[in-house]
Amino acid sequence: MTATLHSPAREQRTSPAPGKGRGRIRNRNRLWLLVFLSPWAIGLVVFFIYPLLATAYFSLTNYNGLDSANFVGLRNFVYLFTGDEIVRTAAYNTLWLVVVLTVLRVAFSLGVAAVLARVQKGGGLFRVLCYLPSLVPPVAATLTFVFVLNPQIGPVNTLLRHVGIDGPLWFNDPNLSKPALTLLTLWGSGELMIIILAALLDVPKDLYEAAQLDGAGAWTQFRRITLPTIAPVLLFGMVNSIIFALQYFTQAIVAGSVASGSADMVGNSQIIGYPNNSTLTFPVWLYQQGFRAYHMGYASAMAVVLFVVSFAFTALLIRQLRGAAHTEGARS
Amino acid sequence: MTALLESSPPVTPAVPRRRRNGRRTLDFIAVHSVALALGLMFTLPLVFVFLTAVMSDQQALSSELWPREWHFENFVAVFQKAPMFTYLTNSLVYSVLATAGMLLSSIPAAYALARFRWRGGNLAFMLVIAAMMLPPQVTAVPLYSMWASGHLTGTLWPLIVPYFVGDAFSIFLLRQFFLTIPEDYLDAARMDGCSEFQVLYRVLLPMTKPGIAAAALFTFLYTWNDYFGPLLYVGERQESWTLSVALASFRGMHRTTQWNLTMAATTLVLVPVVVLFLFAQKSFVRGLTFTGIKG
Amino acid sequence: MRARLRPALILVAAGVLATAACTAGGGGSTEPAAAPDSSKPVTVTVWSNFADRELGVLKSTLDAYHGKHVNVTIDNQGSQDDDKITQAIRGGNPPDVAISFTTDNIGQFCSQGSWQDLQPYIDRDKVNLDDIPQAVRDYTQFNGKRCSLPMLADVYGLYYNKDLFAAAGISSPPKSTDEMLEDAKKLTVKNPDGSIKVAGFLPQWAFYAYKPQIVAPSFGAQWLDKDGKSGLGKDQGWQDLFGWQKKLVDFYGQDNLQKFTAGLGQEYSADMGFQAGKVAMAIDGEFRTAFIADQVPTLNYGTAPAPTSRPELYGGGYTTGTIIGIPKGAKNPGAAWDLIKYLATDTDALVTLANGLHNVPSTKSSLSSPNLKLGDQFKPFLDIFANKNLASNPASTIGDQYLKFVSDFGTSWENGQVTDLPGGLAKLDKQIDDAKALGGK
Repeated sequence: MTATLHSPAREQRTSPAPGKGRGRIRNRNRLWLLVFLSPWAIGLVVFFIYPLLATAYFSLTNYNGLDSANFVGLRNFVYLFTGDEIVRTAAYNTLWLVVVLTVLRVAFSLGVAAVLARVQKGGGLFRVLCYLPSLVPPVAATLTFVFVLNPQIGPVNTLLRHVGIDGPLWFNDPNLSKPALTLLTLWGSGELMIIILAALLDVPKDLYEAAQLDGAGAWTQFRRITLPTIAPVLLFGMVNSIIFALQYFTQAIVAGSVASGSADMVGNSQIIGYPNNSTLTFPVWLYQQGFRAYHMGYASAMAVVLFVVSFAFTALLIRQLRGAAHTEGARS
Repeated sequence: MTALLESSPPVTPAVPRRRRNGRRTLDFIAVHSVALALGLMFTLPLVFVFLTAVMSDQQALSSELWPREWHFENFVAVFQKAPMFTYLTNSLVYSVLATAGMLLSSIPAAYALARFRWRGGNLAFMLVIAAMMLPPQVTAVPLYSMWASGHLTGTLWPLIVPYFVGDAFSIFLLRQFFLTIPEDYLDAARMDGCSEFQVLYRVLLPMTKPGIAAAALFTFLYTWNDYFGPLLYVGERQESWTLSVALASFRGMHRTTQWNLTMAATTLVLVPVVVLFLFAQKSFVRGLTFTGIKG
Repeated sequence: MRARLRPALILVAAGVLATAACTAGGGGSTEPAAAPDSSKPVTVTVWSNFADRELGVLKSTLDAYHGKHVNVTIDNQGSQDDDKITQAIRGGNPPDVAISFTTDNIGQFCSQGSWQDLQPYIDRDKVNLDDIPQAVRDYTQFNGKRCSLPMLADVYGLYYNKDLFAAAGISSPPKSTDEMLEDAKKLTVKNPDGSIKVAGFLPQWAFYAYKPQIVAPSFGAQWLDKDGKSGLGKDQGWQDLFGWQKKLVDFYGQDNLQKFTAGLGQEYSADMGFQAGKVAMAIDGEFRTAFIADQVPTLNYGTAPAPTSRPELYGGGYTTGTIIGIPKGAKNPGAAWDLIKYLATDTDALVTLANGLHNVPSTKSSLSSPNLKLGDQFKPFLDIFANKNLASNPASTIGDQYLKFVSDFGTSWENGQVTDLPGGLAKLDKQIDDAKALGGK
């Protein structure tokens, strides 16, 4: 088994055009290459490279979307790092999600997948049940959880009350709103479960049998055989979760607004981040600054920071993943 | 692995034969009760949503779990309160056109990345990964300005057009699928005088139909579930709202409604996705396993 | 190939950058657009944040206009809050007529020119603005720029449930905030498990109408200092307000309060806390009388000016108003102006709207119209509107953002995260001023 992210050149086992007329074919190929790649190349320029450059430019301006942008130097960045109190909270919230979500999402998915891998009766049904929530549109899933975890009328606290427990405030408690978002995310992490499950089922059985003959216990087998074999998949799960947490937006903005009980529309400045800015993630504040308050220059400065951080994570994890792929390749 | 969600041989517990059968039974019971608990945990929230959706206004504000009377007319009321058909149409337009555009633009690009050897191929693949990982909020300001200068915000175009010029995730996924086809097949076709275009459409595509179905499904699902994009570009204009935006705004817009109607609307939004899934389970799973593993 | 592509990329990028830097242009002319030919059909789009019943009331008035100008078709769209209006202006697809419930964002609307200057139209048609009370004239402009006209005003006062008052043995509504605190405690009924069954008064920020700008007048709290900077730290009123509020929150216990409000009905539904008899006192707008008449006509309630911390403040209250204007980039500004003129100055139109919405009419002629039918419970609001202590919150170039800062601060204060009230308020001032500076050139 080889892992995801390695370059195509390494996989090219045979050269594309053996035999005579290589030069002509190569020229012809070059034309086809251009044809095949040109839509994507246009997309790359217009929707990736240009906006990145423009974001960098706008981050140095005062721009409200109506008047043309004014160059203001580093003022936005100064405000970002020294003035804006809310952005600090927002960065903390996002960092919290990056750490907690990544760890729990991978661990939880691994746990569920491990159970599913051992189910003998009704395995298909259980898998469908575990996977289904991940398909629920995030807005619908968030409304579901805000309702289910409503402190007063929500089913969870109702059930807790029946067994004599005074349920917590969940989305209405600044200390529990992020854990509640975490629950919501775990509930919908079926995709990762299935990916890990597939990897678990792919572990060669003879490896286990050999280990059993050596008298290895279940934990040793897991640590020595299962874990190393599925490591690339777990790493993929980590990258995926980190990127997911860095752009955490929909669930946060919807949960905060709806749980506030206000009659204002979702995303209204007065209710985002409810309670006490605890659900105000970095992308939510970026959106609010850029597209509600129209401090588009400032929002661009925040975007630059978000870009740098997410790019660093991506690069770091791609390197690790490729490293893991190499060692994996060597083993099998 | 293709039938992962239906049934597949379980990894038999690692218990040597000479151990007692009782241990096995215990193991069986333990695993299945945990699985049962998990199954319940994953399903119950949706059951509660449905039960609340058919409650009366008053009961939805109480902490009772089971409807006293079944108000199925709540689902009709949602359609009366909000132009759900318009939102449904918009969601469909967005998802269907985006999926079509993705297929048109991303299949050739994925093929080029998987099967051509060229200087810059590595860089191009890294750019695909970088674009795939880029949080959409990073580029939102200039893109919004760009579409606004063309007076196209408030329409679905800013959401759809990018898919016609290549979607990074789909290119990545399709490339993974294309790599699974042995080069020999393609070479054979080339020897028969097929152009690269014919190789792609006559040979590779028929062989990777499952992969293409998976990429299409993921694009459809991603756009169907998308909230940030529609909020940014069509939030201002109600006639262009998609179901996600409409659902998020449901309580704010219909300020006289209670939880029951909100939950009825929620049910209506998630039913199509569940139905789609039940019809296309295999493709989902195939796609999923390919995003994570297999080179 | 890469080398050849690169200059092209840069060229394309530069080109797109140049076009993007100037968005949503046009509509900056000062020349008023002519009213449309009465024989030519024209469609005027009207956006407001009205919903359900209230949207219907607006529609009936617009229908009356259509009856007089049959060539003008009106597309009446509800549930369009300020955010959506500003977004549509940025995107270049604004409505012809925009209606906003509050004056929170007028600073942004006028200063950035996202709402057009109405002065040329007013001069051309010789509209008599003297018919509009001075206070209302003030809050519909910003720094001397008139980009909106008032379409009815809102006034906030105390609502109290007479049955619950009787049950608690209280004979009259509180006049001072101290009395209000005592009454709120007396009126609160708890369940055996300690949770709240009926709350005397709900002091939770941004829940229902409990917002800083609405409560501030009760404590005489001032927003700005002499120099126009944020002046919350220098004003005793704010310390009184937050001190009072914390006493009430501590009385309930914050968890209890949160749990209770999470189970209440939506703000404009029949099950809204006060209407359902689960909240004994509320500070709310005069329009609530219409909701009660419509949804729970049997509710036995009274209205009065909001209690105040100092006796000399009593009788006034918070006012804001619905404002109406022409967004930048509107397709039919001429027709839009004609409709705005009708909605803002026509006595019959204002009286019909006021009767339907239970709002305070915003011209002197309509205020004295014999056709006003607003009921006894509405009377106190007219008195508050005429009182010298009527107060509003200042418009600012950052729109309503400073209100978020204030309620955020209020929440940290009731949580106990902020313990030094004057110090915290001074920091809050800096936060508001810094945010204002961000939008400067």
